[in-house]
Amino acid sequence: MSDPFLRMVDVRKRFPGVDALKSVTLEAYAGEAVALIGANGAGKSTLMNVLGGVIAPDGGYIEIDGKRAAFRTPAEASRDGVAFVHQELALMPTLNILDNMLITSFPRRKGLIDYRAGEELCRNALKQLGYDFPLRTRVRDLSPGDQQIVEIARTLLGKSRIVIFDEPTSSLTSREKERLFEIIRIMKSRGTAIIYITHLLDEVFTVCERAVIMRNGAKVAESRIADLTRGQIVEKMIGSQEAVAYFQHHERRPGEVLLTVEHLNREGFLDDVSFTLRSGEVVGLWGLLGSGRTELFRALMGLDPIHRGRIRLHKPGSEVVDLSPQRAHSVMGMLTEDRRTDGLLLPMSIRLNMSIANLKNLLYRGWPFVYRAREESVTREYVKKLNIKSTSIEQRVATLSGGNQQKVVVGRWLQTKPLIFLLDEPTRGLDVEAKAELHAIVANMADAGAAVVIVSSDLDEIMSLSDRYLVMVRGRIVKEYSALATKHELLATASGISAQAEGVG
Amino acid sequence: MAAKERFTLGRFLLSYGFVLTLIAIVVLCSIASPAFFTFKNALFILHASAPTMILATGVAFVLMTGKMDISIGSTAYLSAGVGIMLMVHAHMSPLPACLIIFAIGALLGAVNGFIVVVLRVNPLITTLGTFFTFRGLALQITNSLTISIPSDLGEFGSIRVGPFFLDTLIAGVVLAAYHLVHTRTVFGRYVMAVGNGVDVAQKVGVPVDRTTFLTFVLAGLMASVGGVLTMAQVGSISPSLGQGYEFTAIALLVIGGVSLFGGEGTILPGIVLGALTLTIIQSGLNFVGASPFVYPLVRGGIIFVAMYADSLKNAVARKVRLIPE
Repeated sequence: MSDPFLRMVDVRKRFPGVDALKSVTLEAYAGEAVALIGANGAGKSTLMNVLGGVIAPDGGYIEIDGKRAAFRTPAEASRDGVAFVHQELALMPTLNILDNMLITSFPRRKGLIDYRAGEELCRNALKQLGYDFPLRTRVRDLSPGDQQIVEIARTLLGKSRIVIFDEPTSSLTSREKERLFEIIRIMKSRGTAIIYITHLLDEVFTVCERAVIMRNGAKVAESRIADLTRGQIVEKMIGSQEAVAYFQHHERRPGEVLLTVEHLNREGFLDDVSFTLRSGEVVGLWGLLGSGRTELFRALMGLDPIHRGRIRLHKPGSEVVDLSPQRAHSVMGMLTEDRRTDGLLLPMSIRLNMSIANLKNLLYRGWPFVYRAREESVTREYVKKLNIKSTSIEQRVATLSGGNQQKVVVGRWLQTKPLIFLLDEPTRGLDVEAKAELHAIVANMADAGAAVVIVSSDLDEIMSLSDRYLVMVRGRIVKEYSALATKHELLATASGISAQAEGVG
Repeated sequence: MAAKERFTLGRFLLSYGFVLTLIAIVVLCSIASPAFFTFKNALFILHASAPTMILATGVAFVLMTGKMDISIGSTAYLSAGVGIMLMVHAHMSPLPACLIIFAIGALLGAVNGFIVVVLRVNPLITTLGTFFTFRGLALQITNSLTISIPSDLGEFGSIRVGPFFLDTLIAGVVLAAYHLVHTRTVFGRYVMAVGNGVDVAQKVGVPVDRTTFLTFVLAGLMASVGGVLTMAQVGSISPSLGQGYEFTAIALLVIGGVSLFGGEGTILPGIVLGALTLTIIQSGLNFVGASPFVYPLVRGGIIFVAMYADSLKNAVARKVRLIPE
C-alpha cells in the first residue's frame, strides 16, 4: 500500500480526571474508508475533534500528505481539506439549501453575492452525489436524510480530501442509508480518505476497508475488515478480560407491580414501548445514544407529549389508575442527563436546591410560608444521609464537586419519597469514588422498595446495578434480558445485531 | 425530496394573516369614512410612517440575529439633540450637522455593540441601560427644552418631489438599500446565519461577533436618520422625541414577519406591510372618530396577536426526529 494520506501520531489529550487519549496513532489512506469503532467514551470523538481543530492536543502531531499540520480552529482544518459531517448536523434551518452550503464561501461580484455562480457550484456538488434539489428550499423543510445530503454536499464544495462521518446513519431510513453508502463509495473512488465513526457494526462491514478499535482512550486493535468477525470486534471494544469478569451483584426480590407502560408511542421518538416496573428492582435501560432512552424518561415524566398508549400506576393500597402528566412528578423522581443545565439551580444554596421539589411538605401549619427550621433540619438530614461534603447547607451548589452536586439532586428527589426513580446517566463525569457512592445510593433506593430505572452509556455500570435489562434500538424496546445477560448479548443487541445469528460470545 | 407543505387553514392564516387584516381594515375604514380611501390620505400615511419605518429597518438586522435593541428611540433623540445644539448655538449649516448626527448615531450603536459583543452583556439589559443613559444625556445637553429648528431648515419636512413627501422617498431608498444588503450580500446572509443559532454559525465559520457588532452600529445609524426626519416633520425637538419609537419599530417588524427568535423575516415587503398596518389602523381610528385614548389599546392588541403568531410559527418548526419515518 502507498503512504498514508493522513497520519495522526502519538496524539495525547488529558481532561481533568481522565486520560481521554493515551498516545493514539491513526492512519488513513486516500480512496479508503477506515472505521473508528469504540463504545461511548472510548475517545473516538476526542480524536476526531483534534483532527477537526476543535480540541488542541496535549502531545503528538498530525501529518497530511507528508506535511505537518496543526489546526487551531475548525476553519483552519477545513482550509486544509478536513471536512466533518457531524452527527448533529451543522445546518441553519431557516436558510435555504444554497445559503447553507455557501455560507462561508459565497462567490462574489462587485461586492454582491453572485447567485448564478453559486447555484452552479451547489448544483455541481449535489450532482456528484446524484441529487438535484431545488436550491431555494428551506433546509428545515427537508427530511433528515436530505439534510445530511446537503451537509455532505457542502464538503464537496471545497477541496476536502479527508471526510469524517460521525455516526452518519443515526437518523436515516434504510433507503437513505443505502444512498449514503453509495455516496461514500463514490467519494472513495475519487480518492477521498474517509474516517467513519460508528457503533453499528453492520455498517462497518458494508462501508469500510479497515477498522481501528478504541477503548478507554487507547487504540486496542487495527486490522483489515476482511480479517475480522463481528464477535472479535465486540470483544475488542469491551476488552476480553472484562468480558469474562463476573459481576458481583446482590440478589433482590422484586415486589408488586408499580407501573405498567402499554404501547407508548411518541411520533418520531418512541415506537410501541411496553414494559412493567416492580417495586424494589433496578432495571437497566440500555441502548446507544439516540436510541430513545432519554425520550422514554421524558415521556414517563410527562415532559413530552404521548401520541398513543397509556401509563398505569399501581399504587400500593389503591386502585390502578392512569398516570396523568400532572401526577407524574408526585410519584417519580428523575435525574437528568446533564445536571448542570437541567437539574440544578447553580447559583443557589444546597438548602434551596434540595427543598424545591418538596416545599409543600415544608409549609408552616398549612400557611403558604416555608417553615425555615423544618427546611433546614430536613436538608441536614439528607446531607448527612448522602454524605454530601460541604461547608454548610448554605454553600452555593456551583462550588460543589460533580459528585456532590449529583447527590444534591438525588437528595431533592429522595425528600419527596417517590415510588419510581428515573436515573439518566447518573454518574457521568464523576470520579471513581463518587461513582461508587452513587451506586450504593441506587442500591439503597431499590432496597427501600422503590423501582429504579437507570440509563448509562457505561455498560459496566449498568451491569453492576441492574436486576433486569431493557434494550432500546431506534425508539423500540427490542429485547428484555435477565440479570444473567452477558456483555456480548447487550452490546450486540443494542448495535442491531441479533446475538444468535452472529454467534457472538 | 423536499416535503411539500400541506395546505391548512392554520398555516395559511399564519403566513398571510396580516395582509388579510390590513385589507379588512382598509375596507372597514373606507366604508365608515369616505375620505379615508383617498390618494391624499395614502400620501399622508406614507409621510407619517417614514421615520418609524427607517428606525425599524435599522433594528431589523438586530432582531434577525435573535437579539434586541430598545435604545433606538433614545439614540434618535440624543443624536438629533446634539445636532440641533450645533445648528442653533454654533450656527453650523444643516448638511454638516446632519453628518455629525449620523456619526453620533453610529457611535451610540457601536457602544451597544461593544457592550453586547465584548462585555457579553445580555442585549436587552444592555439597551435598557442605554435607553435611559442616552435619553438622560440628551436631556442634559438640551436642558430638557423644546428647541425649534433654524428657519432655513423649517421647510424641509414638507418638501415634496412630485406628489411624494421627501421623507417618504428617503425611507424608500433606505428600504431598498437594506433589501439589497439583506438578500444580496454576504453580511446579509451572515445575519440570518447568526439568527439560526450562535453555536451552529460558529461551527460553520461565520464571524459571529463582527456580524453582531455591525448590526448594532447600523441600528444606531438608522435611529439617527429617523431622528432627523422626525425633527424635520415636527419642526423642533422636544424631550419626548423618539419616545416609544423602539416599541413601535419592534412591533411593526414582528407584524411584518420578523421573528424575535431570529433567522426569519424580510425587509421588503415585510417592513412596509408592518408599518402600513400600524399607521393605517391609527389613521383609520382617527377617521372614524375614535377617541385617541383607544389607540394604545388597539395597538397593544395587534402587537400581542403578532407575537403570539410568531411563537406559534416557531412551535411548528424545528423538530428533529429520532426514528426515521
